[in-house]
This record gives sequence, structure tokens and C-alpha cells, in this order.
Amino acid sequence: MTRLACPFCGPRELREFEFHKTGPAAGGQGEFERVYLRVADPQLSIEHWQHVGGCRAWLLVHRNPSSGLPLAVELLAGNAP
Amino acid sequence: MSTLPASARRYSAWSLLRARYAGPGYWRPLWSGRNLQPAYDVVIVGAGGHGLATAFHLVRDHGLRRVAVLEKRLVGYGNVGRNTTIVRSNYLLPENHYFYEDALRRWETLSRELNYNVMYSPRGVLDLALTNDDFPALARRGNALRLAGIDAELLDLPALERFAPELEPRRKRRFPIVGALLQRRGGTVRHDAVAWGYARAASALGVDIIEDCEVTGVRAAGGAATGVETTRGHVQAEQIVFATAGHTGTIGTMLETALPIETHLLQAMVSEPIKPLLNSVVVYVSPGHGETYICQSDRGGLVMGGHLDGFPSYTREGAWHRLEDVVRGALELFPRIGGVKILRHWAGTNDMTMDGSPIMDRLRYDNVFVNAGWCYGGFKAIPASGAAFAQFVATGTAPELIRPFRLSRFATGHLLDETGQGPFPVRL
Ligand SMILES: Cc1cc2nc3c(=O)[nH]c(=O)nc-3n(C[C@H](O)[C@H](O)[C@H](O)COP(=O)(O)OP(=O)(O)OC[C@H]3O[C@@H](n4cnc5c(N)ncnc54)[C@H](O)[C@@H]3O)c2cc1C
Ligand SMILES: [Zn+2]
Repeated sequence: MTRLACPFCGPRELREFEFHKTGPAAGGQGEFERVYLRVADPQLSIEHWQHVGGCRAWLLVHRNPSSGLPLAVELLAGNAP
Repeated sequence: MSTLPASARRYSAWSLLRARYAGPGYWRPLWSGRNLQPAYDVVIVGAGGHGLATAFHLVRDHGLRRVAVLEKRLVGYGNVGRNTTIVRSNYLLPENHYFYEDALRRWETLSRELNYNVMYSPRGVLDLALTNDDFPALARRGNALRLAGIDAELLDLPALERFAPELEPRRKRRFPIVGALLQRRGGTVRHDAVAWGYARAASALGVDIIEDCEVTGVRAAGGAATGVETTRGHVQAEQIVFATAGHTGTIGTMLETALPIETHLLQAMVSEPIKPLLNSVVVYVSPGHGETYICQSDRGGLVMGGHLDGFPSYTREGAWHRLEDVVRGALELFPRIGGVKILRHWAGTNDMTMDGSPIMDRLRYDNVFVNAGWCYGGFKAIPASGAAFAQFVATGTAPELIRPFRLSRFATGHLLDETGQGPFPVRL
């Protein structure tokens, strides 16, 4: 993966983006689960990113961490993590 | 010639001399290709440093007989063969520095213990401060270490110049060097030799090291694990140890237990060999380019690394922009290496925990153990972790040294957040 396609700015170099965290583990919805536990699926990672070096939008990114490739990039609901 | 396997033969000057005249048949594999048995007392998953060291200590110190290490690829294919070989114990938090100090003391004598030269080289680890804020932080860490009786010296510029004139500490730079924290007993250990040395020693004690054997599931009955499913069939086990480093998150998924772990890549690279340039290991955070660490291998190559790529990945392909950051950071300190060529570049999958410290505990079942969460710093821990974890598995009680690393700390709030960055593997 060398680029990510921002829904607003189009495909941009990876350096412009900052990964924030993966989605919380499904199941338990307590504070502890939300803050600390992570889903480890080698085929699908659901992540929060920000286009810090561009429009600064918060993005919801679906990626395959085994190939590295993004599957979908969209605006994160509420534009905040 | 001796009928013992080569792995059981002691190495010495005498054995080398004998090898010289014994002909080509003398050298044999360091660990023997034994067959997978249907049942074991302990099955260890992952032939990295931690898995192999645990196996070695289980047999040597606790007398277990039927121990296997199952590895999905090859011995040393994981991070134990991909790291930048730095060993040190200069951690801020007491739980960490006592643990890593135990490891550092063991590195000092490991070659003799394994009868295998792991090339421990106490050349000194220098943490440089490039800003006025970094220097008091180093002083605080150094004081914490000295209070614990662990060696640490705070160096001002004249002292740094005496210790490492090659750094040209007073040179004018965009971010000039302010001072440094030195741990003289820190340095490097040949990473491959650690994997080979433990594999050879464990094999000689009767451990079955089975390569090309991936564990795909855990079988359980009546609230306890009974064995593992592998690509070579079912294997029964009284106890199971996962020492799977970068793949531990997926082991959690296998056991239906979400873990406080994300898998991130860390890259490293080595330059073509050059004449001696750098005597110590140098670590610093450049305000412009982030973290860089650099040392010179015995062959003369500059070994360099930096921060994580910055997002979850199992690809082992480093992100290009991070490579650029590391090289820029290195050039900032050593402008004169600008003409040196990069020879090789690689990445490893790191099991990043949500506080940056390891996890050594049981997992889901009483007879399933996990030794992981080593993040980007678990190489230096191998001898301490192997000894302590073997005691845990053999006796059922975790020794004091590793008790702070239990999994429940995330729920109880007893975190070991060495860098104070919160539950995010990537420093923002
Ligand atoms: C680029 C880089 C630089 C580093 N630099 C340093 C450093 O300077 N100092 C330091 O202290 N640390 C460093 N580290 C970290 C250190 O290398 C690791 O923390 C440590 O090696 C991890 O423990 P290990 O040796 O047991 O892991 P590994 O060698 O990765 O062993 C885990 C093994 O488990 C196997 N495995 C996984 N899943 C399965 C399965 N299902 N079935 C069977 N086998 C399986 C893997 O194939 C692998 O061989 C660095 C890491 C990297 C990537
Ligand atoms: Zn954008």
C-alpha cells in the first residue's frame, strides 16, 4: 500500500494520512473492551484514519491487512473518532 | 567419531581443530529433524527466541521430557531473525527495568551456557537528546535506573565527546545534540545465533523442533485444552504455550478471546559494509523525522531502524515513507554517510500491546499459556523470558519477575505504559 484514496481529495500518498486505531472488539461493549481490546482478523481490518496532510477529514477505512490493500474508504460518521 | 548428534557435541577450540581434519562429514545440522509425535507434555507454538528459550529451560531446569516446538515456517524466520539486535535494560518503569536487567545479566553469560557464541557485544547504548525537553527526560530515566542499581550515565557534551567522538557532538546541526544517556553494558547480540544456539541446545536435550507445521486450532474438552490441530494433524498436549509474536492476535481469535494487541510492521535496513564509523548503538528521536536507531555490524554494515510503519499489517512489506524517515534521521546525525548504499531492507510483524509491554499469562484455559506482546523490543528479553516462563509452565506459578505482565492488568488499570502514550501503538 503506497496510497489511500480520500473521498474528498482523491488518491494521495500514504504519508499524508495518520492511522488512529482499529475498531473495538465486537461483543463486549464495556469501557475496557472499547479502549483496549482489538479485533484480529487477518482478512479485514476496520480502522479510523485522518487525512492530516490534506483535508483533515476523519475516515473509516476497511483494509485487508494481509495484502495491505484498502477495500473501502469513507467519511467517518460525525467526522470524529 | 562420536555417535552423538552434532548438536550434542561440545564446541571448543579442540573441536574446531578436529573438524579441520575430520573431513566434510564432521559438521551436521544443529538441530535434528525429528518426527512429530502424537502426544507431548508441552507443545510450544512458534520457534522464535521466546519459544525456543522456553523449551530449553523446561527441559534443562525442570526436567520435562516430552516437549515439542511447532513452527509454521522455519526456525528464525520470524522476528528473532529480523530484529536490529539491540540489548539493554534502561527502561523507566521498575517492572520493566528489573525484568530487562535480569535478561541483560543472562546475555553476559549466555554463550557459555549454550556452548554457542551469540556474540554479545557490550558496546554501549546511547540515547541522544536532540531537544532541551529530551534531556531532563533522559535524566529522569537514568536516575530511576541508578536507584535500582542498574548502570546508567548521563553525559553532557564534553563527556559524550570523550565517549563517542565519532558523533561530533558539537557539530552544528538543525537539531544539535544536547546530551545523552549511556548504558555501557547495553549493546548487541547476533540475532540468528540466538535462534540457532537455543535450537541446538534444546534439540540436544531432546526437544522435538518441528518446522513447516502450523497450528490452526486448539482442541478442548471439559474446560481444558487437550491438544492442537496442525497442518500435520492433531497433536495431544498436557500444556500449550503460544510464543507466536506477530501472529498472537490471530491466536486470540482462534481461542475466541479478543486481546489488547494490534499487529504492526517495523522495518530495518543494512548498508553495504564500510570501515569502522560507529562504536556504540545510537538511539534518538529527531523532531524532524521521528525515531532513528543505528549501529554498525561486525561486518561493517550500518544497521538502521526507526518507528513502526503506523498501521496494522501482516504483509512484511515496509512502507516507503517510513524508510525515507529513517534514512533522513540517520543523515541528520551523520551527513557523511550520504553516499553509502542500502544493501538490504526488510520488515517484521510486531505484536503491539495497548501499553507497549509484554503479556505473559494463561489464555482462556488453565493449561494454555501466552508469551507475547513483545512489540518492537522483545529480542533483548529472550533469556529472561525463557527461564521465567518455563518456571511458570512447569510449576503453575508465575515467578515474581513476570507477574506484572499478566493480561488482567488492562482490566484492573495496572498498565505498564513505558512511553506514556496511552492505548495506541502508534505515537502521534
Ligand atoms: C525490524 C525489527 C527490529 C527489531 N529490533 C529489536 C531490537 O533491536 N531489540 C529488541 O530487543 N527487539 C527488537 N525487535 C523485536 C523482537 O525482534 C521481537 O519482539 C521478538 O523477536 C519476538 O519474539 P520471538 O523471537 O519469539 O518472535 P518470532 O521470531 O517472530 O517467533 C514467533 C514464531 O511463531 C511462528 N508462528 C506464528 N504463528 C504460528 C502458528 N499458528 N503455528 C506455528 N508457528 C507459528 C512464526 O512463524 C515465528 O517463527 C525488532 C523487531 C523487528 C521486526
Ligand atoms: Zn482528504
